[in-house]
Amino acid sequence: MKRRKTGPSGVVAAPLDAHTQVLAKETGLPSVKDGRLRTYEPGDNVARFLDLLGKRISRPLAVSMTACVHCGLCAESCHYFLARPDDPTMTPVWKADQIRKIFKRHIDWTGRIAPWWVKAGSLHDDEDLNRLKNIVFGSCSACRRCTYNCPMGVDTGLLVRFARGVLTELGIVPEGVFNVSRDQWETGNQMAVSEQDYLETLEWMRDEVGAELGDDTVEIPVDKPDCEILYTINPREIKFDPRSIAHAAKIFHLVGESWTMPKWGWDQTNFGLFSGDDKLGAFVARNVYEAAERLRAKRIVISECGHGYRSTRWEGYTWADYEQTRPTESVVITLKRYLEEGRIAVNPARNAEPVTFHDSCNIARSGDIVEEPREVLRRVCADFREMYPNRRENFCCTGGGGLLSMAEYRPLRLEVGKLKADQLRATGAKLVCTMCHNCVDGLSDIIKHYKLPLRVVQVLELVANALVVRGASGT
Amino acid sequence: MPTIEIEGRQLEVNEEGFLLHPEQWTEETAKLLAKAEEGLDELTAEHWAVVKFIRDYYLEKNLAPMVRKMCQATGFPLMKIYDLFPSGPAKGACKVAGLPKPDGCV
Repeated sequence: MKRRKTGPSGVVAAPLDAHTQVLAKETGLPSVKDGRLRTYEPGDNVARFLDLLGKRISRPLAVSMTACVHCGLCAESCHYFLARPDDPTMTPVWKADQIRKIFKRHIDWTGRIAPWWVKAGSLHDDEDLNRLKNIVFGSCSACRRCTYNCPMGVDTGLLVRFARGVLTELGIVPEGVFNVSRDQWETGNQMAVSEQDYLETLEWMRDEVGAELGDDTVEIPVDKPDCEILYTINPREIKFDPRSIAHAAKIFHLVGESWTMPKWGWDQTNFGLFSGDDKLGAFVARNVYEAAERLRAKRIVISECGHGYRSTRWEGYTWADYEQTRPTESVVITLKRYLEEGRIAVNPARNAEPVTFHDSCNIARSGDIVEEPREVLRRVCADFREMYPNRRENFCCTGGGGLLSMAEYRPLRLEVGKLKADQLRATGAKLVCTMCHNCVDGLSDIIKHYKLPLRVVQVLELVANALVVRGASGT
Repeated sequence: MPTIEIEGRQLEVNEEGFLLHPEQWTEETAKLLAKAEEGLDELTAEHWAVVKFIRDYYLEKNLAPMVRKMCQATGFPLMKIYDLFPSGPAKGACKVAGLPKPDGCV
């Protein structure tokens, strides 16, 4: 392989910037006053980091800290390294080693006896912590492709999230992550949407769907008890892109589904997954579970969101220590069921343009939904084609792990997006479908940056587009 | 930090092309941002209606308005916003109006 020269990524050396944290402290935000969010305090952070490291180490973490044999397979899995093959700091093993060496120096007996032998090392000051922050937040999208390909079972994604969590505990986090966590703690949703704005947007979408179908019985029920489905969404659907709510409402109406959205606990996204803060993870996930409990809903349905699906369906029950008593599923699974049961009729000719599917990391690798969206797309699209590699081996959209909200790491993210751009271009498709809002923006960035002739769509949009409404004209 | 140049003045933008100092925004800046970031050669009266509403809302509340508010204020249907600004309300319209990048999954 011909290797091109690459300069330093610049990410590791990015300076520590604490101005939003300072502002949050001055404003006296409840989440800061209660200590749920820490603000950065120079000084004894290293001692606290080491203390937390000792307290939080678990068996799966210890395995990932010690089992690595430095074979290098993870490097060949990582889109950062594949796009910058001259830069060893881009390999997952190097990134993980920056955490591992601290573990070896302070916890593991090998490093305490012979630190030089096992390459143990320590942290000395806040600059070292800042450098670690830049590595675990800025040069890894926590996509876990390396984890999937590791023959030793080392979970680098877990190590990265663990390190992020300890740094978050100290208040050493990127500005974007701090802001979104603050909003989620303070308002229960990551975009600080007020209850009134939430309800107004739902009414607006109800009216839009009603007008489109010429049917004034269309409803978007809120806080209706004893429904089959509790539908939870990503706040960006309310704030900036409610089209997906209209698509879902239209389909639920046409199948006569008994469904509702909660007045509180409607945000299924969870920045606790990205920041590594299990307490925030527990708070947000619990809001959703308790909404379902309060309204006695039979099932929780999660709109198309990768990290929200992983958090709400899988991780949240553990973070919140909540007994899972009701099925929790992605709306794509719900759509697949409607199609199989013949509850909606579709005409694939309505989606005539070639469509490819992008597997989101948190949906396929970490969420175990792989074939279902394909089955839906084959039914609603005339020309569905795979991109390669695909399924659990797909590459990240480059915006995973919360990177979309960390503008400071964007240049590197777009540079390593070259891989994704090549992958997209090779499909020859006009549309790329994904079941994650994060991927929508990640892919849109790549498409814009590399000037690709593609548009990003989601499964709900394609299904809504292909719907044959019985009794309507022209069908 | 990346910069864009307008009338000989250097304006700092963040890595995503959002103005770093939103108070530096002028109508000329809007035209330049629209061309550089959205590929719009000129801004029509409809574009300006959206941009000016977002700008005023931001100056009053220090917050990006929801797309619901944009449509209410301008009377445009939802899809019109996407027709006017290809990158959508957040990364398109708010950027042209000189707002800082909205927080969250956008």
